[in-house]
Amino acid sequence: MILSDTDRKILHRLQSNLPLVSRPFLELSKELDIDEGTIIERIRFMIEKGYVRRLAPIINTQAMGREATLAAIKVPEDRIDEVSAIINEYSGVSHNYLRKGKNKDIPYNMWFTMSARDDEELHSRLKEIEDRTGLTVRSLPTVKKFKIGVRFKIY
Amino acid sequence: MKKEDADVKLIKYIQEGLPLTKTPYKDIGQALGMSEDEVIQSLKKLLEAGKVRRLAASIAHRKIGINANAMCVWKVPEERVDEVGKIMAGFEEVTHCYERPVYPDWEYNVFTMIHGYTDAECEAVIQAIKEKTGLNDYVVLYSEKEFKKVGVRI
Repeated sequence: MILSDTDRKILHRLQSNLPLVSRPFLELSKELDIDEGTIIERIRFMIEKGYVRRLAPIINTQAMGREATLAAIKVPEDRIDEVSAIINEYSGVSHNYLRKGKNKDIPYNMWFTMSARDDEELHSRLKEIEDRTGLTVRSLPTVKKFKIGVRFKIY
Repeated sequence: MKKEDADVKLIKYIQEGLPLTKTPYKDIGQALGMSEDEVIQSLKKLLEAGKVRRLAASIAHRKIGINANAMCVWKVPEERVDEVGKIMAGFEEVTHCYERPVYPDWEYNVFTMIHGYTDAECEAVIQAIKEKTGLNDYVVLYSEKEFKKVGVRI
């Protein structure tokens, strides 16, 4: 890792909201005691090198009127590449992972998140995946949220 | 243009990344035909309404050394879901905590996503949750392979 202490300080702060003022990086420079130009340059560096994916609004799909779910599917070993390629074609799919139970076996191995304009579109897409793969898709939408806030401890 | 359309237009323009300039909101405004103040006020309202969770950096966690993640699913009695959900959410390493439905072949109703620098760190959090909640029926799901991981876009 090539991140300096300055970078870590910036990274840690940037996981919370960027100030909504005319010169947000100047505001950060006062908070962090790092020069405004340096902050902008280091953010650019960290994006370029792939440490930061983007500095952008993190969207609440449901509040924007979209529907989303976590879906699980049992895919035979020899069809994993084929089925994951089908699922990944959908732009509403933001995550798709192969998961395995560590302490117990579980009935599904492929887990993906899907969002759509509304409930109808969401279900028709899941149904389409079932039709195209011949496999059953289990939909596990959120019933209640206790926490969503991917902020990491930066050592 | 309706307010909602203007919001969607604004989000679409910046969802790949804010301009990295001294005056990002002014620059966004210039591109979209809005004033700097209109951009700031629109973003403020989107945040207040919860339509935008944060205006912040998305970190490539693996790249900065947070290599371990475990999705841990728990079988929690219905009447304890609220109490237990709050305890789990209180752990810094627990980044997501949701209640989800059960099915005949799926009885784990509370999902926690745990991120750590090592597997041992994730395991320690799971142990601490077990002790604090008294729950014992859970499965740790490790990701064997990542097929897709992108931020949510509209």
